[in-house]
Formats: sequence, C-alpha cells, structure tokens
Amino acid sequence: MPGRPLSRRTALGSALAVPVVLGACDIDPPRRESESSPATPPPEDSELVATVVASLVRAGALLDATTTEVPGLAARLAPVGAAHAEHLDVLVGAVPDAAVPTAEPVSVPPRIVPALAAVRRSEQRLLRDVREACLAAASGDLARVLGSVAASTSQHSAALATEVTS
Amino acid sequence: MSTLDALQATLADEHAAVYTYGVLGARTSQSATPTLYDALTSGYRRHRARRDQLQVLVDEAGGEPVAAAAAYELDGRLLRAPQVEAAARELEVASVERLTALVAQSSGTVREWALTEATWSAAWQLELGGEPQTWPGAPELG
Repeated sequence: MPGRPLSRRTALGSALAVPVVLGACDIDPPRRESESSPATPPPEDSELVATVVASLVRAGALLDATTTEVPGLAARLAPVGAAHAEHLDVLVGAVPDAAVPTAEPVSVPPRIVPALAAVRRSEQRLLRDVREACLAAASGDLARVLGSVAASTSQHSAALATEVTS
Repeated sequence: MSTLDALQATLADEHAAVYTYGVLGARTSQSATPTLYDALTSGYRRHRARRDQLQVLVDEAGGEPVAAAAAYELDGRLLRAPQVEAAARELEVASVERLTALVAQSSGTVREWALTEATWSAAWQLELGGEPQTWPGAPELG
C-alpha cells in the first residue's frame, strides 16, 4: 500500500516535533510549547521512544528464539510478532536517525509450556515499559500512539494467557 | 479539544455504554448463554464504575457532568447471542478510541486512569469474541 508507512511516520513524527506539554495540573488543557524549535523532537520524548523500541526489539528477539526452539508455537506467536514489527516500524520512523538496537541473545526452554510462560512474562514486561513511556510522554499524540501499543500488547497478552493443551 | 472537553465526551459515551450494556444483558439468557451473560454483566459493572469516575473527574475539572439521554438508539437487530456479542464488542472498540483520545488530552492521574481503562476495554474484546489488533484505538495507523 504505497505511501501508508510514510504517512504513519509523518503523523507521529509531527507529533514528536510539535509536542503537547502539560502543566502540573492533571486536568489543565494541554498547551503547545514548541514554537521556538518546531523541527526538533523533544529530547525526553525521543528517549521514551528509544526505550520502547529497545523493549520491542528485546521482546521480538524472544519471540524469534521461541519460534526457532519450539516450532509448535509458531502459529500462536506469529500475530504477536507481526504487531511488534508494525509498532517498531512506526516508532523508529518517528525519530530521525533512530538506531534500532541489536537484541541480546536469549535462551528459550525447549518445551511448550515453559517457553510460552517466558513469552508471557516478556510481553508483560513490554506492556509495563510502554505504559511508563505513555504516561511520561510530553506529546499527547505520542501518548495516544503508545496507548494504542499498550492496548494491542494487552490484547495479545490476553490471547497468550489461554492454556495450551499440547 | 481541552481535557475537560475530552472528559465530557468520554462521559457522554459512557452514559450510552451503560445503557447499551443494560439492554444487551436484558436480551441475553443467563441459562442458555451463561458465558456471554457473565461477560455482559462484568462489562456493565466496569462501564458503570467508569461513568461514575468520569463524573468525579469532570467535577474536579470544574465542569458540570453531561447528563445521560433518556434513551439511546441501538444499531441493528439484537435478537441472537452472536449479534449481542458483536454489539458489545463494537462498544468496546469505540471505548478504546475514546479513551486513547483522552490519553492524548490529559496527563498525570487522568492519563493513567484513561490508559488503564483503554487497555481493559481492548483486552475485554477477546472475552466478546474479538481478536487482537495492531492499533486498537488508533485505526488510522493500520
């Protein structure tokens, strides 16, 4: 679908470039505070994105290793990995010159039940990281994107929570 | 849109959600479809608590909480369990969109609450026959 990734990146890139900075009061109307440097993403939000990107890379590496070690889980984990890849694509595209970190090697139990348990723990850790970044984001639009990532991750975690029978 | 506006819009949606869940529950047989009945009951309770919390948040923001309408029009025929389940699922899909909008328009404890509710509504869709999505609440990114 030509142009769609660019449009998604542009949308979030713009969100980072024009942050919504919130005051101390929880319910004050958001106000924009970036007129002086509209082209520069706020450093704190770029760091948040980098944190989430690193967490997605880590979670993705575990999924890949699990699929390799326990092929019987491949079909179940494929949708999770596809979602991570989409989330990663949008977030990496939002930060100019963003580098995707290399994942550390991971070891995976060679049996379905413990391997799936490790994936569940990994996804819960990812969800915590995304939530923290969402709550800390200066840009309201970035917070919304991260909120969607958190919602997606919670859905996949719920799907993984069902018991395996083999 | 200000945070207060976003809170009021979310509250207006929650009034409709509570009404809708009530109708859906009334059209569901506890004996014939106990799993669906339980899911609707839990959803009703969650949205009722959410509506109550939103009224508090609007009040704290200095607004007058929007009132519920006398009745709401429900789309489609809701005579069979799959139709009822789909209607509840669509309600949760819409809730995630509204709550992620509130996430964008708030900070601090309000954003944290909205995020928690958004992730609950997203996960609850699976109890209602839904599948995980890549961009719940932000479909334009998909």
